[in-house]
Amino acid sequence: MTSRALAWRTVTAERSRAVLAVAGVAVIGALLFDMLLLSRGLLVSFRQMLDTAGYDVRVVASEAFPIRSPIPEASPVAADVARLPEVRDVTIVRTDRALVLIQGRGPTEVELLNLTVGAERRVWRLTAGQDLGPRVRTKTSSSPAVISRGLAESLTLAPGSTFRLRVIVSGVASALPPATFEVIGIADFHFAAANEHAVATTFDAFQGVRGSTASDAADVILVASRPEVESASTVAAIERQRPDVRAYSNDEVVARFDENGFAYFRQISFVLSSITLGFAFLLVGTLLTVSVNQRLGQVAALRALGFPRRRIAAMLAWESAWLVGVGGLLSLPVGWALALQLDRILRQMPNISDELHFFVFEPRIAVWHLGLLAATGVAAAVYPVWIATRLPIAATLRLETVS
Amino acid sequence: MTPIVEGRGLTRTFSMSSGPVTALRDVSMLISPGEYVAITGPSGCGKSTLLHLLGCVDAPTSGSLYFEGRDAAALSESERSRIRLTRIGFVFQRFFLLPMLDAWENVELPQAEIGGDAVKRRSRTRELLDYVGLGDRVHHRPSQLSGGEMQRVAIARALANRPALLLADEPTGELDEDTGAQIADLFDRVHADGTAIVVVTHNPLLAARATRHLTMARGTLQASPR
Repeated sequence: MTSRALAWRTVTAERSRAVLAVAGVAVIGALLFDMLLLSRGLLVSFRQMLDTAGYDVRVVASEAFPIRSPIPEASPVAADVARLPEVRDVTIVRTDRALVLIQGRGPTEVELLNLTVGAERRVWRLTAGQDLGPRVRTKTSSSPAVISRGLAESLTLAPGSTFRLRVIVSGVASALPPATFEVIGIADFHFAAANEHAVATTFDAFQGVRGSTASDAADVILVASRPEVESASTVAAIERQRPDVRAYSNDEVVARFDENGFAYFRQISFVLSSITLGFAFLLVGTLLTVSVNQRLGQVAALRALGFPRRRIAAMLAWESAWLVGVGGLLSLPVGWALALQLDRILRQMPNISDELHFFVFEPRIAVWHLGLLAATGVAAAVYPVWIATRLPIAATLRLETVS
Repeated sequence: MTPIVEGRGLTRTFSMSSGPVTALRDVSMLISPGEYVAITGPSGCGKSTLLHLLGCVDAPTSGSLYFEGRDAAALSESERSRIRLTRIGFVFQRFFLLPMLDAWENVELPQAEIGGDAVKRRSRTRELLDYVGLGDRVHHRPSQLSGGEMQRVAIARALANRPALLLADEPTGELDEDTGAQIADLFDRVHADGTAIVVVTHNPLLAARATRHLTMARGTLQASPR
């Protein structure tokens, strides 16, 4: 009979101990799994969100990024960038804060958005009506607008509805007159938070509603490299062409956010992961130690019968492996179910994009998780193995017989 | 003929919190192949300590022990384990069967530890369980067996690898008189089949079955009553 089989028989013979250990490891392992998911979830999700739009480079005015730093004269910069052989596509993104005004309701704050024509499908996904484009038509003489689904539901707007919108100018809130817009489409905006409303319109309408504050400034210029070109090469080419702006690949954007915004989650995750591993170690170590202490006579008898130390050690290591292994496997579905719940709760925080998740499954996280649990199982078995293999055979047999 | 085990001037002292305690003093003895030796004496006189030294599970503080001509002190831990597995059988007062295994598996376990042919192992296990009269209880776990049956399984386990020496420490200590007599009968058969036996016991009926009877007192061997 192999050590693995003997260990399995021991584990199943002591059912209540096994159930306790497996349940404990499953719960602790689920927490560990969630902490590991949390340590990278936002980063992975953020990266996926950036990649979804199909742009791999962002051009901004200064190194203050990710703090907003608009490019004052965006059109010539975009034109220069578009001429580079590394570049396939360029989109200028302009945004402003605005209020949607509907009679009988209070004003609703929205993000007013304008993109280079043709880029719409990369930034939002149309769910009803028609999209902005060169041949867009409205039923009225109003400017066309694609609005976010949340805004449509909140203000009961549908394609064909009209509303008035006024840009918010800091310090002079009522200086600009409102303009009338007609809803031509409803969409899910990739970068918008769940509680954030968005209105996208044409360049002319965007500049028109901004009145005297209109300019060629843009928040960011999005760049898509040609398929055969690395993002880093495009970044270098842009900065050579226009030393007055800064370009960042998606990798660099993610790294910046990782340094500034997301390190917090990684640190929390590291601390909580360490604690959960400590609990797993203590749980399995305690159960195995108690179990070995209850079986000292058996172990001494096996040693007297000629079973070598390595055989006893292998049996106990396998016992630990069974308890931690079964518990660890159970912890994956338990942890995933818990992660979905926690993700739902965390995403209710303000200003979190609909596309952003705190817990994102990656196969390597599952591998790390099982690896860490396996290492914990081995570590937890060290002390009971030491007890069992180092016990004095004769003294233990004498003591067990006397007691 | 080479003796199975020979002890010369065996002394065993234990360090206790109250000071050193000498359990065995300058004991010399020799066990020849096929012998049946009983050791009796009052509790605490050193019988079990001597048995443990003879079985290579403990080492003397002074003196020397030779097992089949080899100096036990010169053997490594793994060599001593191998000798215990292949040349010595142990029977304990409290049986120490593995509770999660049935009778068959308990008897097969020491054979499996050596490895070898599974068919021969099965045949030997069947033979031994029939030999101890438990051919119809092979799939019973220790918790489903009586004390006498458990001790018979333990004897079958001790004989599994055809040892040269069977060491038994109070094998009837947990059993009633009739069951003890059955175990004594079994030892007679084992001895008749050529295995040397050393049994430590308080049971005069069991001791009477031995071909040599030694008594101990205060850590030393006394004169044999016969």
